[in-house]
Amino acid sequence: MQDYTYPSIFLAYLLFAVFAGGALYFLIRSIKDGYWGKDSEEVKYRMLADEENKYGE
Amino acid sequence: MLGNAEKNAILFVIAAVLLFLTGGLLTTLVPPLIDTSWGRPFENDDPAKGPTGKLRPYTEQELAGREIYNREGCWYCHTQQTRTLLADTKRSGWRGVDSPISTPDEFVYDAPHMFGTKRTGPDLSRVGGKYDSQWHLTHFRNPRDLVPGSIMPPFPWIADNPEEFEALVAYLQTLGRAKDWRPDQDYED
Amino acid sequence: MDEKKAVHSGTAVSSTAVPVHTDTTAKWFLLSAVVYFFIVGIVAIILAAKFIWPEMLGTVATLTYGRLRPLHVNGMLFGWLLAADMGLVYYLVPRLCGVKLWSEKLGVATAILWNFIILSAVVVLLGGWNQGLEYAELPLWLDVLVVVAWIMFGWNIFATVAKRKYVQMYVSVWYIMGTILWTAFVYLVGNFAVLFATGVNQANLNWMYVHNAVGLIFTPVGLALAYYFIPKSGNIPLYSHKLSMIGFWSLAFIYVWTGAHHMLHGPISQWLQTIAIFFSVMLLVPVWTVVYNFFATMKGQWELLQTRVELKFLMSGVVFYLLTCFQGPMHSLRSVNALVSKTDWIPGHAHMAVLGAFSFFAIAGTLYTVPRIFKTRLHSASMANWSFWFMMIGGLGFFVTLWLGGLWQGWQWNNPAIPFIDTVVALGPVWTVRFFSGVLIFLGIVLFLYDIVATAIGASGSEPIEDAA
Repeated sequence: MQDYTYPSIFLAYLLFAVFAGGALYFLIRSIKDGYWGKDSEEVKYRMLADEENKYGE
Repeated sequence: MLGNAEKNAILFVIAAVLLFLTGGLLTTLVPPLIDTSWGRPFENDDPAKGPTGKLRPYTEQELAGREIYNREGCWYCHTQQTRTLLADTKRSGWRGVDSPISTPDEFVYDAPHMFGTKRTGPDLSRVGGKYDSQWHLTHFRNPRDLVPGSIMPPFPWIADNPEEFEALVAYLQTLGRAKDWRPDQDYED
Repeated sequence: MDEKKAVHSGTAVSSTAVPVHTDTTAKWFLLSAVVYFFIVGIVAIILAAKFIWPEMLGTVATLTYGRLRPLHVNGMLFGWLLAADMGLVYYLVPRLCGVKLWSEKLGVATAILWNFIILSAVVVLLGGWNQGLEYAELPLWLDVLVVVAWIMFGWNIFATVAKRKYVQMYVSVWYIMGTILWTAFVYLVGNFAVLFATGVNQANLNWMYVHNAVGLIFTPVGLALAYYFIPKSGNIPLYSHKLSMIGFWSLAFIYVWTGAHHMLHGPISQWLQTIAIFFSVMLLVPVWTVVYNFFATMKGQWELLQTRVELKFLMSGVVFYLLTCFQGPMHSLRSVNALVSKTDWIPGHAHMAVLGAFSFFAIAGTLYTVPRIFKTRLHSASMANWSFWFMMIGGLGFFVTLWLGGLWQGWQWNNPAIPFIDTVVALGPVWTVRFFSGVLIFLGIVLFLYDIVATAIGASGSEPIEDAA
C-alpha cells in the first residue's frame, strides 16, 4: 500500500493548532464578556416553574 | 457579545452551522481531492509493485446481478473488504495463498458500495471464481446442504429464476478479480 | 389565523400569564410512534428468531432476512424513535419558550406526512426497493418527502423559538435547534450527495451520514429530552447550565469528524482513519460533561427513583449513554477495532445506544407527557414499572450476551486456523439468549403501549381532573 500519510498529517497538525487557538480565544472572550456570571444559571430554575397544570401526578 | 450568547438565537444558528461545517466539509469534500486513488481504477502491469491486473467496469448482466445482491440485502451479513489484518488476508486467501488487501482503487465502479458493517457470513471481497455455478445453485436453494450449520436464509425465488440466478452469479464471480493473485484455474464458465 | 392572533396576544399579555397549549401535534406524533414501536418490535423478534431457525418464513421473498432488517432499522429509527422525539419536542419547546406552538395545523400536517412516509417505507422495503446504503435505504422520492417534513417541523419550531417570551434559552432548546439544523445537512449528504459518488468516496459520505444520524440527530434530541425531563420529573434544578453549554458546543464541533472510524483497517486512507480516531476519543468530552451534569443533579435525591418511573427510565438511560459512549471511542482504537469490528459486539453496542439510552429517554418523556396533554392521570404506574423492568432485564441480557459473543467471535476470526462456519455455529447459544431477551423487551413494549393507549382512551371518556394551578 502506498504511503500517503505525510503531506496530510502536517495539514492535520495545523488544523488542530487552529482549533486549540480558537477554543482558547473564545474562552478568554467569554470570561471578559461576563458570560460566567450568576445570570446564566437563572434559566434552570425558571424551566421548573412553567408548568401550567398538575396533570399526570 | 458572548455575555448574551444564550439569549441570541441568530448567533446560535450561525455558530452551530459553522462549527458543524468545519468538520463536515473537511471530512467529506477534501479527502477525495487529497487521495486521488479513491477515484482511479486499479491498473498495474509491474509485478514488482504487487499483484498485476486491471479493474474493468461491470457488464449489464453483472449490474443486474448486483441489483439483486442489493435487493435481497446480502450486504447486511457479508462484508466486501479484506482489511489490513493478517487474519483477513488468510481468510480471503485460497489454497494456502494469502489474498492481497482491498484498496480504494478496486471499488471505483461500485455504486451503491457494498463494504458492509457486519460479518454474519464470511467476507466476499475475494469470492469471485472460487465456486462454480452448480455450487451456487445448490447453495442458494438451501445453504445447509453444502455448509452444515450455516444460518444463511434459502433463496428459492432466485434459484428457480434462471435469469436472476445467472446475473447474480455473474456478479459474484467478479468480486475481487481485478487483482490477479491466485495460482489456480477458475471455475468460471 | 388563530396562530397570528396568538402571536399578538402572546406579546401583549403580562409575563406571568401562561398560554393554553392544545398539543394536538404532540398527541398525533406520540400515539403513532408508540404503535410503530410495537409493530416494528414484532419484526425485531422475527429477525432474532431467524438466527436460530434460518428457514423460518424463508420461502417468502418479502419476509426474508435481508428485507426485514432494513424495515426493523428504519422502522425503529424513524417510525418510533424520531417520531416520538418530534412529538416530545412539539410538547416541550412551547413550554420552554412560554408561548403557544407557532402552528398546530402545520404540526398536524407534518404528523400526517410523517405517517405516510413510514407506511410507504414498509411497502418499499418489503418489496426490496432498497437504495443499498445503510440508514439511507429509502428510495429518492421518499427522501424528498422526509426533507419536506423536516422543513415543516423545523419551521414550526424555529418560528416558536423566534416569538419566545423567555429570552434566555434553556439547554434543551439549544439541542433541539442544533438537531434541526444539523439533520438537514447530514440527511442531504447521506441521501442525496451519496448518489453522485462511487466506491470509497461514497462509503465515506455514507458513513459520515450513518454516524451522524446517531450522533447529530438522536443524540442531541435525546439529550434535549433528558435535560428537560430529569429536572421536571424529579422537580429538582439542573446542576449547572454552563456545564451543559460546554457539552453542547463540544458535541457540535467534534461529532461530525468521526465517520471514517467505520472503515478502520479497511480500504480508506490511513490519515483519514487517524483523524476519525482522534475525534472519536475526543467525544469523551461532550459525553462526560453531560453525564456528570445529570448525576450531579440527582445527587442526594436518588431516592426519587423509587417512586418516579420516568426517572428510572431516564437515569438508567444516562448510565447506558455513558457506557455506549465509552465503548464508541474505545472501538475506534485500532487494536480494539481489530477485535470487535464487524462482530456481534456491534449490534450489542448499537442497541444499547438506540434502545438503552435514547429510547429510554423517549419512553420516559412519553410517560410524563401523555397524561398531561390528555389532561388525565397515567393509566397505571405499576404497569409502567413492569414495562421498565422487562425492558431493563431484556436489554441487559441482549447487550451483555452480544458483547461476550462478539469478543469470542473476534478472537476466533483472528485465528485463521478456525474455519469460518465454526465461528457461526459457536454463536448459536448467544443468539438463543438474544432471542429470549428480545421477547422480554417486547413484553415491555406491549405493556408500555397498553399503558399509553389506555391513558389516551380513558382521557376521552372520563371527566378531566380539576386544574390544580
